[in-house]
Amino acid sequence: MEAVNQQNTATEEDQSSSEYLTFRLGEEEYAIDILKVQEIRGYESPTTIAYAPPFIKGVINLRGIIVPIVDLRIKFGLGTVEYTPFTVVIILNIAQRVIGIVVDSVSDVTSLTGGQIRQAPDFSASFDTKYILGLASIDKRMLIVTDIERLMSSRDMELIDEAAAN
Amino acid sequence: MTIDMSQFYQVFFEETAEHLAAMESLLLGLDVGAPDDESLNAIFRAAHSIKGSSGTFGFTDLADVTHVLENLLDRIRKHELPLRNDMVDAFLAAGDTLKALLSAHQGGDPVDAGTVGDVCAKLKALTSDAPAPDAAAAKVPAPVSGQDAAVPPSAGKPCYEIEFVPTLEAAADHQVLPNLLQELSVFGEIDILAQPQPNAPGMWRLRLTTERPQDDFVDIIDFISEQDAWRVKPVAGPVEDAGGAYGLFDAPATESAEDAYGFFEPQVEAAAVTQAEEGDGFGFFEPLPDAAAPAPVSAAAGEEGDGFGFFEPLPVPAADSVPAVTESLPPPAPVLPDAPVVSAAPPATSPAAATPARDSKPKPPAAAGGEAASIRVSVERADQLINLVGELVITQAMLLQCATQMNDAAPEALINGLAQLERNTRGLQEAVMSIRMMPISFVFSRFPRVVRDLSSKLGKQVELKMTGETTELDKGLIERIADPLTHLIRNSLDHGVEMPEKRIAAGKSPTGTITLKAAHQGGNIVIEVGDDGAGLNRQRILAKARERGFQVSDQMPDQEVWALIFEAGFSTAEVVTDVSGRGVGMDVVRRNIQSMGGRIEIESMTGIGTRMTVRLPLTLAILDGMSVAVGEHTYILPLSYVIESLQPEHGDIKTLSNQGRVIQVRGEYLPVVSLQELFRVPGAETDFTKGILIVLDADGTKAALFVDALVGQHQVVIKSLEQNYRRVSGISGATIMGDGRVALILDVSALIESARSTQQAMAAAATA
Repeated sequence: MEAVNQQNTATEEDQSSSEYLTFRLGEEEYAIDILKVQEIRGYESPTTIAYAPPFIKGVINLRGIIVPIVDLRIKFGLGTVEYTPFTVVIILNIAQRVIGIVVDSVSDVTSLTGGQIRQAPDFSASFDTKYILGLASIDKRMLIVTDIERLMSSRDMELIDEAAAN
Repeated sequence: MTIDMSQFYQVFFEETAEHLAAMESLLLGLDVGAPDDESLNAIFRAAHSIKGSSGTFGFTDLADVTHVLENLLDRIRKHELPLRNDMVDAFLAAGDTLKALLSAHQGGDPVDAGTVGDVCAKLKALTSDAPAPDAAAAKVPAPVSGQDAAVPPSAGKPCYEIEFVPTLEAAADHQVLPNLLQELSVFGEIDILAQPQPNAPGMWRLRLTTERPQDDFVDIIDFISEQDAWRVKPVAGPVEDAGGAYGLFDAPATESAEDAYGFFEPQVEAAAVTQAEEGDGFGFFEPLPDAAAPAPVSAAAGEEGDGFGFFEPLPVPAADSVPAVTESLPPPAPVLPDAPVVSAAPPATSPAAATPARDSKPKPPAAAGGEAASIRVSVERADQLINLVGELVITQAMLLQCATQMNDAAPEALINGLAQLERNTRGLQEAVMSIRMMPISFVFSRFPRVVRDLSSKLGKQVELKMTGETTELDKGLIERIADPLTHLIRNSLDHGVEMPEKRIAAGKSPTGTITLKAAHQGGNIVIEVGDDGAGLNRQRILAKARERGFQVSDQMPDQEVWALIFEAGFSTAEVVTDVSGRGVGMDVVRRNIQSMGGRIEIESMTGIGTRMTVRLPLTLAILDGMSVAVGEHTYILPLSYVIESLQPEHGDIKTLSNQGRVIQVRGEYLPVVSLQELFRVPGAETDFTKGILIVLDADGTKAALFVDALVGQHQVVIKSLEQNYRRVSGISGATIMGDGRVALILDVSALIESARSTQQAMAAAATA
């Protein structure tokens, strides 16, 4: 439903552009709506949680809020999973929750118009293509425009209780 | 000038909701046979406030319903109509309609206009079907009935002597006093008996001859007078007076409703004399406490033959009756010294005649004092404050840790300052936390209604006894405990308490009792819902469990059998009613209570009754905890569960079938739970003799938890893990330690439960 709405608005506002934050996971470059991003910070070792899947690294204290940290590199099997002082965590503000994602690096902020975003071909990827809003190319770079809200609140991220997920 | 009223809507909604709740609880507390005047007045005031403010805010639908409601209330309040059960029902229905209207305005479902119409029509019908003498009296104030009517009141118009001292402002203004005189002259003839020098303060004395009831003009006088510095006294002969008094008594409802507000406070002292004649519920109960009702009163009252008047000359007996009547038991009429007067009073007023004695309760109206002492703060703001203080506590702990790490390098002044900071923050934290604490009566107050409605629906006789309503707990919990408790009470009513015939057959009183108790116990609040009904039926539960395919045996202890009723889809009710029996509910109740960090237990005896005990933490925000280390991790154990800790010797820990471990502590074998195994913590101690065992007790179930080391004792601010993540089994929340790291708070009951279940599985395997 949401995706449909967003596509509708995309066609209506083909020419109006919105800002996207792009980050790298291995060789791939992803773009997410910048309005969902709260902040970007360095990686600090989180408190692990028993029975959590491996890609959920644990929780950190973000100025008094307990924030779960998801390593997207582990989730998508991309890039080298190592934690250095340069490892970056993007703090997202989605679905009334604060969630941190670990990525290889943050590239830049790009503005994309609706027309620049192309439909992604339907194929099986490491995550369902329903979370991909489309593909955009800028200077030979291909950006995977991701519906990060939908992805993070999806059941396979195991971030939200079953009851709350639907 | 237009003011945007919408900014005040929220306040209006809250206040109206409070008024409605107050009204409902008062209605339920009413003794229909002999209603307490003060309660009637309080109900009336609540209705009146709702009417007033909804009118102001333009919610005319609310105002309309309240208006009709108010009319009926007013007549009852003035004893023109005796209170009947169907009226209480109508009031409650009206209250519900108002609530529905209110929620409709707040964005809820619209209310069916038919329902509103029905309620209004019902109220109107009740208002108008007054007994004949009353109706007559309402139209013609004078000839009431019985003895009083013997002398036509027209023989002499009632005459009042009015004395007052105008306020300085009023005296200084040339307009005010002439205006007053002019206003009064509308009522009848005025003679100025005495007046002070122009522009000087002093007492005015007027004589007003009028047929109008005194309620109509007292507030005019009150308006310009100094506080309490006025009195109105009938001066004509007793005969005319009696007529006048009756006239007042039967004054048209809506008019005097407003007046009631005006005179009801100032009269406490100054107008003691007048109250005898007023015959109004408001007027006379206040001077009684000082037991010094002046002499003129007895004279006037004696002559009047008014049902009300005769109490005044007898301040002592009236005062004596106070203890007896606080339990809303009306003193039997013959006890009253002036009993002949009672019998002389017209029949329509006889219920009224009985009530004044109870009005003599020396209780000032509650609403007046309380409001000034409190302010209305939104919950968000209070929560924000609590969060900030929580942060402050963490920062303070962080600073303290820094200073401790500096060891000797830290200047003494810094250490002292930090110690003081610690005390202050703790004090601040406690003070702030208390903002959120509310008495549980906020929840309990709805239950009399629930019980009343349901018991009449089910045809059962049930009495609800509540104790400990003042027990305080966190507001967040208050909101969440309401539904589970309602369910438990409905359950007790439906399944617990038997039908009256059955009860009599069982040798019990036909009226069942449901008890609702709240009390503090350690760091918990314990709420009990008990009934003296049939108790749970063990056989039926077991049979039902088998039918549902649960693993049960006849040897199961009672506790475990009772626990079965919390399973989803479990109901032993023979008939599915609209009240309960569908089997949804008890599992939801348990889940809700567990999600609040609480537990529920059942005790039951066949034929004696059932008792459900709900234990909840006092607050969701703070916890006394013990931090324990496991590997590199720190976990917090709620201190209330910790009994002792011990370091096991080699060989203390025995195995059961080579898997389950137990240890004997003070003659008891306790299951041993290894936290590092349970949470798969890498790098933690596995040698039991090198770590430490903590004996935990969750509701009588004990276990020993194996950890690497005890770290310390802290007061921790509970942070929700679910806010951004999800529930994790064995973990009830998280907190932030002094070093800024997150520590997880252990859910002790879940840990023990997991230990028990593995233990049982093993025991079962061993016996098999």
